[in-house]
Amino acid sequence: MTKQWKLKEIVLMSILGVVFGVIYLAFFLVGEGIRNILAPLGLAPFGYEVIYGVWFIVAIMAAYILRKPGVAFTAEVIAGVVEILLGSAAGPGLLLSAAIQGAGAELVFALTGWKDYRLRVLVLSGISTAVVSFAWHLYSAGMIALAPWLIISTLIVRIISAALISGVLGKWLSDQLAKTGVLRGYALGKDLQRKRKYESA
Amino acid sequence: MISSINPSIKLVAVLIPGILLGLTYGVFTPLLYFIFMLMVTFTMTNIPILRWLKLFSPFIILALGFAWTTMLYANQTFSGGEEIFSLWAFEVTAGSFQTGVSVGLRSLCFGALSLMFILTTDSTKLMLSFMQQFKLPPKITYGILAGYRFLPVFQHELQILRQAHRVRGFSRARGIKGRLNQFRRYAIPLLANGIRKAERVSIAMESKGFTGDTDRTHYHRMTVGKRDWLFFALMVGVLIAVFALSYYLGYLQIFGKQF
Amino acid sequence: MKVLKGYQKPIIEVHNFSFSYEEVDEQRLFDGLDFKLNQNEVTLLMGPSGSGKSSLALCLNGLYPEAVEGTSSGDIFFLGENIQEYEKGELTQEIGIVFQDPESQFCMITVEDELAFTLENRKIPASDIRGRIESVLRAVGMKGFNQHKIHEFSGGQKQKIALAAVLLLEPKLLILDEPTANLDPVSSLEFIGLVEGIQREQQISVLIIEHQAEEWLRLIDRILVMGSDGLLLASNVPERLFIEERQLLEREGIFLPGKYSNRPAFRERWHWDVQSDEKVLSARGLSFSRGKQDVLKKVNMDIRGGEFVAVAGENGAGKSTLLQLLAGLLEPGEGEICMFDRPLRKWQENDLRKRMGFVFQNPEHQFITDTVYEELTFGMKLNGYAEEEMKNTAEGLMEQFYLTEHRHSNPFALSGGQKRRLSVATVLDETPDVLLFDEPTFGQDAATTVELMDYVMGLKAKGKAIIFVTHDMNILDTADRVDVLEQGKVAFSGPPDSLWQERKLLSEARLLLPARLRQKQREGEIYDLIH
Repeated sequence: MTKQWKLKEIVLMSILGVVFGVIYLAFFLVGEGIRNILAPLGLAPFGYEVIYGVWFIVAIMAAYILRKPGVAFTAEVIAGVVEILLGSAAGPGLLLSAAIQGAGAELVFALTGWKDYRLRVLVLSGISTAVVSFAWHLYSAGMIALAPWLIISTLIVRIISAALISGVLGKWLSDQLAKTGVLRGYALGKDLQRKRKYESA
Repeated sequence: MISSINPSIKLVAVLIPGILLGLTYGVFTPLLYFIFMLMVTFTMTNIPILRWLKLFSPFIILALGFAWTTMLYANQTFSGGEEIFSLWAFEVTAGSFQTGVSVGLRSLCFGALSLMFILTTDSTKLMLSFMQQFKLPPKITYGILAGYRFLPVFQHELQILRQAHRVRGFSRARGIKGRLNQFRRYAIPLLANGIRKAERVSIAMESKGFTGDTDRTHYHRMTVGKRDWLFFALMVGVLIAVFALSYYLGYLQIFGKQF
Repeated sequence: MKVLKGYQKPIIEVHNFSFSYEEVDEQRLFDGLDFKLNQNEVTLLMGPSGSGKSSLALCLNGLYPEAVEGTSSGDIFFLGENIQEYEKGELTQEIGIVFQDPESQFCMITVEDELAFTLENRKIPASDIRGRIESVLRAVGMKGFNQHKIHEFSGGQKQKIALAAVLLLEPKLLILDEPTANLDPVSSLEFIGLVEGIQREQQISVLIIEHQAEEWLRLIDRILVMGSDGLLLASNVPERLFIEERQLLEREGIFLPGKYSNRPAFRERWHWDVQSDEKVLSARGLSFSRGKQDVLKKVNMDIRGGEFVAVAGENGAGKSTLLQLLAGLLEPGEGEICMFDRPLRKWQENDLRKRMGFVFQNPEHQFITDTVYEELTFGMKLNGYAEEEMKNTAEGLMEQFYLTEHRHSNPFALSGGQKRRLSVATVLDETPDVLLFDEPTFGQDAATTVELMDYVMGLKAKGKAIIFVTHDMNILDTADRVDVLEQGKVAFSGPPDSLWQERKLLSEARLLLPARLRQKQREGEIYDLIH
């Protein structure tokens, strides 16, 4: 699979991981604020759920920009590795959750035969990532011990966050990025150029 | 010392307890393993206690959050037993209290495992070990390292962007739309620059004869020796021993079932 | 002594070669190129920005067109063999390239690991690697830096490591793609000296890509000139090229070295005196520290209306910090800054930003909207100007800065020079009294620099106070006053002409004389030699 990938595509995935790692820290305070408000009610974990979609944005943006089989999965795993290299306190466990999330994202793209990259597919991919990652957290974070209504509402918050942040925001950011012209050498940029040519013709 | 253990072996040795501790919902098992982790951290690494405490404190807050949530909202399988205390409309029973403490202790174990790994592992060596032990393709190994190298560049750039935004006359974003725009204003310059750098650095790497070929020599040879396996055996062995002891003493609980 | 081997096979032969970034063969970046590079010769390739010089380098080592999915036609021969006969990765080891951007040529953290990466690519046995690293570090003057982290180095040190990594390939042809464009003047000279020594010792063929030939001239055997239309315009020895093809070069916007040029020195072009007595900014007893490190110690400074002050000094001397303090972007540890005799902290943030403009080193950092027009009206919109007024101001700025036809373009998609112009235009939307520039000419080509200086001097003539942090000695030469920072203290403050007398200070602060004086000095030396 990696044979047909270019080195620059792999470095791009790694850089997406680094940039969002840096941005996530800058916006982490938002999550903390919500958490602190909810903490006395015992709903602290909700604070993180709201911005959970940021974790999946790399997989969806990479897939949308590069448009090749396996990109969503690999990009998410690479982002996980990068977080570990950056010294994220979450440590090696990230590798596992990144692989699980990546698989969730890849699943939807695979179902379209890696041909469809419309908004609805990106949103679906975000939702699939949320569900799969949630299943893993039921086990690893002991969430299965919680009351069913709480489990379900947490899942709903995560799904909404993933659909909006990773699906909608991920596509919007990638499109904005394509407009700057730096993606000329990648599938998304080429697609945009072809469209422009077609429109001007 | 743990810093000299092969990074790949260390990773697996940390992951296995991390996964298996998820099975237990008793207090005794994670508590015992947590004590073991503290012993390992302070006898087999050079991490100063104060630094460790500083880095560990977020885990304590996180663990308290998880524990509190679980105590208040545990479901029927886990919330048996007498009521211990009540707060507003919440009742905390013996069962939910125990589950909460267990979940909290479990996250403390995860935290201690992660910190031990992160603080004793060199990033470059970790990647080289992935390549040599796990046969990660060189293209991915060096591709990841090339991106990771830019971390200080991006951190610096983020700072400049903050100043530049201030100079352009707007300080704080308000409302969801404002926040979204602010997010974009940070993300786009960072990403645009990042993508150009990705291209340049990969061209530079290929210009130095890098093809992604797996047939290459290794200046730092990452080896797996007896000491590495001993460490692995220690981490996993103690885990099994802790499970066994809990079972023997009748404290082992897996998914709310007593064994 | 250089051994010319012109009678041997050329190291590179290019026949009717064309290249395009597109998948279909159109919009050729360069077209029908024919040229030769001889063994052991040093060739300079000149041409305006965007003429495809860097792409040509990557075509020569076989990475293009494949890496960008472009198309090419024609043939390139390396030592008589068509480069298409080479396996992937073989040719890149014969032709080593040092690139322009010191930030993005490395994939490893430490010097040793980076150099080992090259040797591992060549499958050099692990036991030989250490020895080779030691000897190449000695060759580039970086002995003992094995375990240092590359990202903590200065630009000059980074380029030396980049050169070391390329030398480990033992290439037959060394290509240098504007390697000094992002370096300060002293580091540039050091780098050029290093290349000269290595070329002489190893008798290696070198292709240098540069805008400005000046400092390289003594190494160069032959010059190739590429035009903005992607055609090869001239190929000649330096002496004859600069005399015979002068008009052609000037038409293509290529700068002639000082001794061939009749263009006025920077200084004569722009030296006017229009200072007023009104103090616009003044700093008293300014100190600032970062952690335990004192960045600035008791700095005093006054800037008047119509005055152009340049701040110079070595990397890490505290220049950018001083500028950020003056702009109120950082809080001083001690001391006070006043604008129009009123402390900065008593100003409303909004008013302060209106009356003060700040231009960053990288223009992109200032861009926050989607189009050039929105970028120009952003500040006015924030301050509630009327639509009509905004439109007029923006139109005026676009015209003044040649951006009218790009009004709907995305700022990031502009060319380097256009981005620089836009970044200056955005701070002029409202009428600031003081303008601060943080190394605005860094990494820009000569044409953009001249253009920027024209605008800046126009603003000075209108009575604006101007502060520049810069490494460019020719710009320092045009300032009314130069303040030299050394380890956080003002080591010199006065007109440039007095600074040029302080030889000891100049070398301590890693400054050079401006081009006009250095040329005189060189001519003087020759005069001394003869007499």
